[in-house]
Amino acid sequence: MKGEKWMIYKNITFKADPFSYDLVFDDRITLVGGDSGTGKTVLYEILEDLRLTNEYKAIKLFNYKSDEFLEAMKRCRNNFIVIDNADILINDDIRTFINFEFSNQYMLFLRNCDGLNVSDKSFKVLKLDNNRITLEEEL
Amino acid sequence: MIDIYTEKKDSKDWILKNDLYFNLNTCNEEMSQNEIELIQQVDEAKLTPDKHIETKYGLGTIRNLSSGCKTLLNIVKHPDKVVCVEECGPNVLKIIFEMDNIKVYMSRPTLFEIPDDAEIRFNDTDVVTGNSGYNTWWSREYERREMDDL
Repeated sequence: MKGEKWMIYKNITFKADPFSYDLVFDDRITLVGGDSGTGKTVLYEILEDLRLTNEYKAIKLFNYKSDEFLEAMKRCRNNFIVIDNADILINDDIRTFINFEFSNQYMLFLRNCDGLNVSDKSFKVLKLDNNRITLEEEL
Repeated sequence: MIDIYTEKKDSKDWILKNDLYFNLNTCNEEMSQNEIELIQQVDEAKLTPDKHIETKYGLGTIRNLSSGCKTLLNIVKHPDKVVCVEECGPNVLKIIFEMDNIKVYMSRPTLFEIPDDAEIRFNDTDVVTGNSGYNTWWSREYERREMDDL
């Protein structure tokens, strides 16, 4: 549809007992910020398993342990890219790639949005309520 | 005095990858009662004497603490080092800026509570006080960056 942004996943839903995750994405680029200790890296580690399923095989994961991060990132097409530790990993070059490689969708655990084409729908925090984990707008 | 450096530097006296530094070094050091309380405060994690943790997300080891919490412990345990705080949430930054005689690296401002009497020195030169001094310095810094087309 004209004007609608390309999304690999509008939502990612799964159970990881005792939690159930219901993550809804409103933009091609989602920045997950908020307080420390809200479960970003916990989510990243669960996605390491989830990406091995057929439904979520488009997920690509990067963190500070990733080998050849820049090169591997730039090879991604039609992927849902998740980057943990993004504040220390991504440079201007990667920010440009994220802005202009429209075939990918991005969830970045990142606080510094400088140089990224984000909207007010991009800024999210993880919220835990009654063992249900969702992405809420960051106020 | 809290020293803030705004230009990144590769040096053995700087900690830029906090998770890595913590996992290889800081986590092997003895944790004081104060540090155990900081872990509880930031991650709501209970640290056992054998360095396992219990959080609302489950059981793990001290290496499963959040990046923000690891950064805080790197600062507390290594006040001589310049520690990158770019991954810290407002809850951790608030605690950091209640401390004294520490050195941090941040390339941009973040919104969080700073005590009115906090003495902050930017890049070894400009000394400011509290939240207003911090915000004023960053406003001028952004004007400078704009003029320099950075």
